[in-house]
Amino acid sequence: MSYDLGKITETLIQGKVDRLTELTQEAIDSNAEPAKILNEGLLPGMDNVGEKWKNGEMFMPEVLRCAKAMSKSMDILRPRLTEGELGSAGTLVIGTVAGDLHDIGKDLVGMMFEGAGYKVINIGIDQPNENFVNAAIEHKPDVLGMSALLTTTMPRMGEVVNSLKEAGIRDQITVMVGGAPVTEEYAQEIGADLYGANASTAVDVTREYFAKAKN
Amino acid sequence: MKTRTNYTTYQSPQFSILSEDQKERIYNGMLRTLQYTGANVHHEGARELFKKAGCKVDGVRVYFPSEVITNALATVPPVTEIFPWDGTTEKKITVEKNRSYFGPGPTPPNFIDTETLERRKYLRKDASLVARVCDALPNMGYVQSLGSISDVTNGLADVYEFADMVRNTTTPIMSWSFDKEGCRDIHRMGIAMAGSEEEFRQRPNYIFYGEPISPLVSDYHAIDKCMYCAENRIPQVYSPCAIGGGTVPATHAGQLVVALSESMVGVIASQLISPGTCVIIGGVQSILDMQYSIYSYGAPELSLLSAAHTEVVHHCGLPMYSQSGCTDTKKMDMQSAMEASLSINAAMMSGANFVHDNGYTESGLTGDVFQTVLDDELISMARVIERGVEVNEETMAVEQINNVGPGGHYLYEDHTMNWFREHWRPTLMNRSSYEDWVQQGEKTLKDRVIEKTRDLRDNYEGPRAKVPARADEEIEKILKEAEERIKKEQPAGKK
Repeated sequence: MSYDLGKITETLIQGKVDRLTELTQEAIDSNAEPAKILNEGLLPGMDNVGEKWKNGEMFMPEVLRCAKAMSKSMDILRPRLTEGELGSAGTLVIGTVAGDLHDIGKDLVGMMFEGAGYKVINIGIDQPNENFVNAAIEHKPDVLGMSALLTTTMPRMGEVVNSLKEAGIRDQITVMVGGAPVTEEYAQEIGADLYGANASTAVDVTREYFAKAKN
Repeated sequence: MKTRTNYTTYQSPQFSILSEDQKERIYNGMLRTLQYTGANVHHEGARELFKKAGCKVDGVRVYFPSEVITNALATVPPVTEIFPWDGTTEKKITVEKNRSYFGPGPTPPNFIDTETLERRKYLRKDASLVARVCDALPNMGYVQSLGSISDVTNGLADVYEFADMVRNTTTPIMSWSFDKEGCRDIHRMGIAMAGSEEEFRQRPNYIFYGEPISPLVSDYHAIDKCMYCAENRIPQVYSPCAIGGGTVPATHAGQLVVALSESMVGVIASQLISPGTCVIIGGVQSILDMQYSIYSYGAPELSLLSAAHTEVVHHCGLPMYSQSGCTDTKKMDMQSAMEASLSINAAMMSGANFVHDNGYTESGLTGDVFQTVLDDELISMARVIERGVEVNEETMAVEQINNVGPGGHYLYEDHTMNWFREHWRPTLMNRSSYEDWVQQGEKTLKDRVIEKTRDLRDNYEGPRAKVPARADEEIEKILKEAEERIKKEQPAGKK
């Protein structure tokens, strides 16, 4: 008998972190394929959560709890998934640029990416430009995210893009920028690839970007 | 130890304009006015009543000694309840100090058509539309029609209005009438909805609105209807439209004295006839604009005067009929939103019992249900301020603050999960990102108000289907009889 993945979807939507971890383990123990658990259990759940958030049926604290549940479940699944099976759920390195101590925006984006199945490496606030470059070299992330809340620190994001070029890895990495004062135009100006107006659209635009790249 | 000593809490903001001494002084000003100036009462029966109670009567002028006034105030009820006709309790009104219910207003000649957005005469269909829309709006605590029907038999706009409205909302209605006959027809309908006269007395389901003429005149019909309502224990409003600099002194204190005095005539009549019957006073308090010669519904003085009047009226132990959410603007714009916001907040802070005119535009000449829909949202915002700040261990969250520490965030905290839903949620105010806003058609507040209003107009059914068949038939019968009554009253050829 195949494992009831609907239960996993439901528990994820309810944001029950511990219960979802138990169920994920239970599913693996009863020989459900890890890729199936991800694609038919977890991802439909997070899609539903995203939809509900957009429609005003769910709110940030609830969505983040679901994202946390998803992330814990992914910790169990990730080692059991092949590169291909991980699909769009890649790796994100994220941090706030030098001179900027703002935490929450980037954390939110990180949590939403975890919710989308990503492995998220949060390098913290007030990170000098070279730390972004080094983290990119070390973790080989699919996406490098930079956050700035101050108009005075925004230029650091463009400098990092240039540093990536100098290090010769710019074309191996997708650069995403965000933060309250950042706009789509600014992102283009400094040569970033992606811009999300808020945490949930950041995930959406990233997904769309990779889906397009595949085709 | 969880208890505290000599500890004061405020459950709501403490808003006040007048001191106890100032209220007392205005009250005494009213006593002096009614004693030495008196009021004209164009109703023989009422004058007889006042004379018997100890008033001096000279022609139509009645002079009220202070003991007549204090005796009347001694019998006004401290609390009255008004019930939705369908037996539910959610929309029950408790007329009691510091409880505010907002609603539209009565009788402007014009209405903003919900389709064309143009100003036109108020039509019969508008009464049920306003009733239905208000039935759906959570912050409309009672309902008035926003107009005077122009397309029914002359002299029956009042009766048709109530007949149509009461069947389209369970929110208690505040009705009006031309004369006692209309008042009686409306009351028969109220009884039909209640089930019987006895049931109406137990659970009154509407309020009647009557108006003396400022300054200090109670015309025949006003006091006649007032007396009828008292006899039948119909909760009623008896309040003037006092025009600062026009019908009352230009000084605010003078306005309060006259406005209080003219209402007091109705209070005395009602209590002499039926001690303990519910009577509400107050009315429109604003100024005459000396440049445009209009009675300003958007003036900041309206907010100030209404709030101060509320304090004086409450000081007398009476419930207050105040106003807000109205504007001098001709068509929905920034002016209407601003003027309405200010007056709604002031009315809320003052704790007036019934706050009318939410949906009045063009200085009270045009009813606009779009404005009512906008006001509904503004009222819900003002309620947030009314609720104040709860201070206790749980809400101070000192433990959670320690858990999160500097530089952290509260989004994962159970405490946040437990409390974030207390935050007010807009239904009309837009908080989306610029990108989402563009994607959703760059709608302005006006667009959203129109959309919401039309959605309610087209999709909200209201309680029409729930009206008991017996009551429905009775109402139709009353309408037919009213037509016959008018035919008799008005000789052929005269319209």
